[in-house]
Amino acid sequence: MIERSNEDWLTSLQSPGKAKQGALADLREIILNSLPYAISKYLHPSDPHFDPLIQEVAQETLLRVMGRLETFKGQSKFTTWVHTISVRIALTELRRARWKEVSLDELQGGIDSDDKMREMPDQDMDVEISAEQSEIMAMIQKTMMEVLTDKQRKALVAVAVQGMPIAEVADRMGSNRNALYKLLHDARLKLKSHFEEQGITPENIRSSFEK
Amino acid sequence: MAWLKRLFRSKEKAAKPEHKMAMTSEQADKMLRMIEHTQDEELSCDEVFKLLYIYAEMASLGEDVGELFPLVEHHLEMCPDCREEYEAVMRILEKRMD
Ligand SMILES: [Zn+2]
Repeated sequence: MIERSNEDWLTSLQSPGKAKQGALADLREIILNSLPYAISKYLHPSDPHFDPLIQEVAQETLLRVMGRLETFKGQSKFTTWVHTISVRIALTELRRARWKEVSLDELQGGIDSDDKMREMPDQDMDVEISAEQSEIMAMIQKTMMEVLTDKQRKALVAVAVQGMPIAEVADRMGSNRNALYKLLHDARLKLKSHFEEQGITPENIRSSFEK
Repeated sequence: MAWLKRLFRSKEKAAKPEHKMAMTSEQADKMLRMIEHTQDEELSCDEVFKLLYIYAEMASLGEDVGELFPLVEHHLEMCPDCREEYEAVMRILEKRMD
């Protein structure tokens, strides 16, 4: 494979014919060789889905790269820019597969509505919670009920408490990742200023867990 | 715990009777930490994505990216999706399988 400078990449990818085909083939090769570092943590290379996934991601990455070449500002190696694109495509795909079976409602557990309280079956409850701690937890949940909208609370519980990816929550709410991040930001701001009005800081609530 | 009592002022609809917590103290702690670190101005995921390749490459070169791009660093602390993608890009740049 030829060593290419950023300029070489851009020129070849924008030229017609052989130079472009060669550059695309090389770029595909680079993506295929790099993706395993990014995703083997989530999907073992011996998994039958592994090869089809990286092939598909490489293809999709090339399309996106060609569609937005002009947004590459050249402050890094060209290939680093390409890696951020392929990683985003791959991880979005993997998250979707990993969370496929999980609905938002079942994640809400006892936090959501009053009567439909359900115990979280898979939650590790054997850690003993002191009376004081459980009072604090009840307070936090009560605050969330009072201060946040339904949507904000659901999203915050799913992401901050249950560890669901923002993109997955967004999908289920008919939103997108960018908008959902903003919604969560608003929710955090509301809680923060509510706590401030009460003269307490999240920090001193947290310190009571440490006793 | 005066500060806790203060929260229960107002029209006290009698706090819910004991029920199983849906949150572990670790989860509550994590959420409180996020609230504590919330800033008025934060970058969105799209804004971070446009800077991520520069940020990652500089980080892999040992630059103090937190100093150079504090808002990106902050977003990566608050956003699990972007964080995960940043770490995956770093594994590629450093050729680590982990
Ligand atoms: Zn993000």
